[in-house]
This record gives sequence, C-alpha cells and structure tokens, in this order.
Amino acid sequence: MNKRTSYFTILKSGPGTSIQDLGRIGFGQYGIPVSGAMDVTSMKWVNHLLKNSENDAVLEVSQPGFKIKFEYPTTICIAGAKSLISINDRTVASEGLLSIDYGDVLEIGPISLGARIYLGIKNGIDIPYTLDSKSSYSGITKLGMLNKGNQISFSSDQSILPFYRAKVKFPRDWMETKEIEVYPGAEWKELKKEAQSQILNTSFTISNQQNRMAFQLEERIPNELEELATAPVYPGTVQLTSGGKLIILMKDAQVTGGYPRILQLSEYSISQLAQKRPNDKITFILKEIIF
Amino acid sequence: MVELNLEHYSITPKLSEIKWKEEVSDQLLQKQIALKKHLINQFQERIQEIRIGFKTLGICWNSNFSLEEVQNCIRHIEQLQAFPALSEKVWKIPVCYDGEYSRDLFALAKSKNLTAQELIHLHSSNPYRLHFYGFLPGFMYLQGLHNKLHSPRKSIPEMEVPAGSVAIGGSQTGIYPSSSPGGWYIIGQTPIKFFDPHKVPPVWAEPGDKVQFMPITEEEFLRLKKNPESYFEDE
Repeated sequence: MNKRTSYFTILKSGPGTSIQDLGRIGFGQYGIPVSGAMDVTSMKWVNHLLKNSENDAVLEVSQPGFKIKFEYPTTICIAGAKSLISINDRTVASEGLLSIDYGDVLEIGPISLGARIYLGIKNGIDIPYTLDSKSSYSGITKLGMLNKGNQISFSSDQSILPFYRAKVKFPRDWMETKEIEVYPGAEWKELKKEAQSQILNTSFTISNQQNRMAFQLEERIPNELEELATAPVYPGTVQLTSGGKLIILMKDAQVTGGYPRILQLSEYSISQLAQKRPNDKITFILKEIIF
Repeated sequence: MVELNLEHYSITPKLSEIKWKEEVSDQLLQKQIALKKHLINQFQERIQEIRIGFKTLGICWNSNFSLEEVQNCIRHIEQLQAFPALSEKVWKIPVCYDGEYSRDLFALAKSKNLTAQELIHLHSSNPYRLHFYGFLPGFMYLQGLHNKLHSPRKSIPEMEVPAGSVAIGGSQTGIYPSSSPGGWYIIGQTPIKFFDPHKVPPVWAEPGDKVQFMPITEEEFLRLKKNPESYFEDE
C-alpha cells in the first residue's frame, strides 16, 4: 500500500461548510455539544459506498457556490441534497462515486432538493481528533467552520483507483416527506390535551432561524408550562419556549436547557429535518415506544 | 415498598430519564452522583453517557434497555440510609472585581442597596457547589448564591460577554468559559481557563466539588492572564 497524505484547497465557500463525523459522543457531561453530521443517513451512505469506516470524517456543505481543488488523485462520493455538480466545468452525477485526478476542480451549484450535501473521500478527511471527533466546532477544533483558502488533508491511497462508473441509486424520497416521526418528550404529558392535539394537527413552517444549533418553527402554541430546573437536552429535543415558539435542537445545540422538552426526534427524523429549508412544512407524527 | 419521590421514563429506545420531585439540594446531588456510579457499574458498556441536571438524570444507551432493570438500581439507591458524602474539595477561583472587568457591578450593587464592596463580599465569602456542566463547554452550574444577590436576567441579552466573565443571573452565579451572548450581570472576570479540549476530561472540577471566588487585584489578574496554567501549579 502506497499511502501518502495529500490535501484539497477550498477555492470558494458560502457559510455553513464544515467537517463532520458522528460527533463527540460522551462529552455532554462537560457541556460539550455532540456535533457530527446533521444528516447521518446521507453521511453513512457516502462512507459505505467508499468502503470507509462509518465514523470517517466527510464535508458537509449547506450553500451553493462551493468550489474545491484536489491536489492529489482519490475517489470521492457525494450524497444528501440534490445539486448541480461539476468537475472541471463538466456536469457529473449529483450522487455516487467519482474518480478525482491531480488538480481536478469540483464545484457545487444550485441545490434543487434538500439542504445539505455530503462529500466523502476515500479513507476520510485526515485531521487530528479533538475529544474523539473531527467534527468542526469553534473553540474545540483548530478550524471552526471552513472558509476559502483552507487546505484540508486526506490520506490518499493509490491502490484503489480503478475508474468508478458504478451506477448506484441514492433515493431522496425520504427527505421530501413532510411527516416527521417523534417520541413524546419528558414534559409532553404535562401539556393540556388541547395543546397536544394542536401540536399534532399543525402544519409547521421552518423559519429562517435555522442552523446547526437549532431549527425554529413559525407557528406558535399557547404554553402554560413553567420553565424547568436546568435539565439535559439532546439533538432532536423539541423545546417549547415561554412565548409558545417551538425550537428543535440540532447537532451543535447546547447540552442543557430550561424550556419544557415536549417532543424528541429520532436520529432518522433529525436526518429528514436536516434536509429541510426555510418555508418548508412539517407535521409531527407521534410514535410510542414498544418494548 | 418505598414510595419513590421520582419518575423514571423512556424517551426513545436509546434514551431514558429520571426526574426527582424534590428541591435542588446537596442531598439530591449526593443521590444523583451515587445513582450515576451505580448505573455505570451495573450496565458498563451498555451505557453511552449519563448526564445530570438540577433534578434530572438522563441516560444515553448503547443498547436497548428495560425500565425494570433501571428501576431496580433506583430502588437500591433510594433505600440507602446514607449516601457517600460529597467532595470536600474547594477550588479557589481568582476574580478581578475591578474596573473594566466588572461592567455591571456598580449598577447591580446600587439596585440591591449595597456598596460594591458589600456585594463582592457576599459573592466571595462562601463556596458554591458544582452540580453539573452545561450551556457552554466547561460552564459550571453552581448553587449557593446569597438570596440578596438574586437578580432577574437582563431583558435584552448582550451580544458578547467576554471569556472568563463572572456573572449573576436569576438565583445563580457562573463563569463564562468562552465568549458568548449572555443575559447575566457581569461583576468580575477570572484569568484562569475552565476548559481545555486537548485534555481528557477537558475540565478540572467534578460535580460535587465546591468552588469559591477569591478577589484579586488587576495586577495579579494580568500576571495570571499571561500564564493561566501557573495558577494550578502554584497550588
């Protein structure tokens, strides 16, 4: 095996580009956000096709106008949102494996479906682990969010370079569904019946206030619950603020909070939500745990 | 059977929580710490992480679990006559309560009919109990703020509270380990670090320990600020 470290250079990037693996598991007790890919479903698909390990770090891109130059040959894989992707100005498939040669320039154009694109590299992105993870988080990793000019290492392995033309379908119907399955949260049963049924019968709109920390919803629900003595919260926890606003916590969220925790999304529901954009509609479908 | 003053429920197939119906206290914290240890001993790798809040204990599971198994652990702890005592360790936190480091000190003291000196004395004369971390990496949730110093949060949070700021909000006092937006009243600043992502664990105090603020001069503040690591070496 002829392994050597190489790198790619970011030529252009909007806000919201980061390196993500499955996150910092087990550090919430020190106040550290979990982080990790917002849409783990797409991220795992990318690593699976590359025959990487499940936790290998990938790029998460959430804005069009992203351009990188590879300084060494490798194989990459793309999934997540559907967008116009080109290599050296030639349009390529918006999902699946792609061979990369010296100096290839990859560009991500307009996104037509979904919100976040995952770009994985054979053997993963090669940066140091901080607290068991490579996931970007300002104040924890050396690089916070990525910007133009950043050079990122990956371990290249020339022995795996047959030209890939495998046609693999990446289904995207799951990210179009409006129905998000949720579990009742710790304070769900304290809500009045009318509030519960209003929450389950409202078509909620994703607001512009949405990022890796949280998604806010536009519609309000009358809230008579008091704030809590500060308690643990998790990615996917839905908080109901005193003003009646619903906040769905995402991967970079704080680990504790004082608002009532009315619902909890599963990892799969978080993936679905991660592919929603402002003004998209969602409804909550309550799921009971069966042991 | 003991009537349990708590609820235990599952949230997802990999997440459960225990919530106590009693006031926040050292006794409750003793119980939470004892239960956390007992659960980790019982379930080992089946548990990914346990997090505590003021009246809660959340369990993230690596595997499926049954409420009954956990219920047995809870009963075991609740039936104990005495819990292991909390730590006697008191960490001294140097704080400069002067000038630019204490932008809200005078206004807050005035609103309480106190002099700045009286406020500093009330804030620094007794130790606080560390219950858990949250909000920001390395942010300590502390209990023990004197009643006279309880103050509602600012109606409009500030865009940026500097790292190291020591502040009061509601019935709590705390230290911002990194700069952040915040709505608490800033009464001082500490030069030492509360969080190091290159160490495991990334924090130095454990839940159950105590911390006490120790007023220092600006000169001392600037000396420690240059070399914050030296503070713990001098101890």
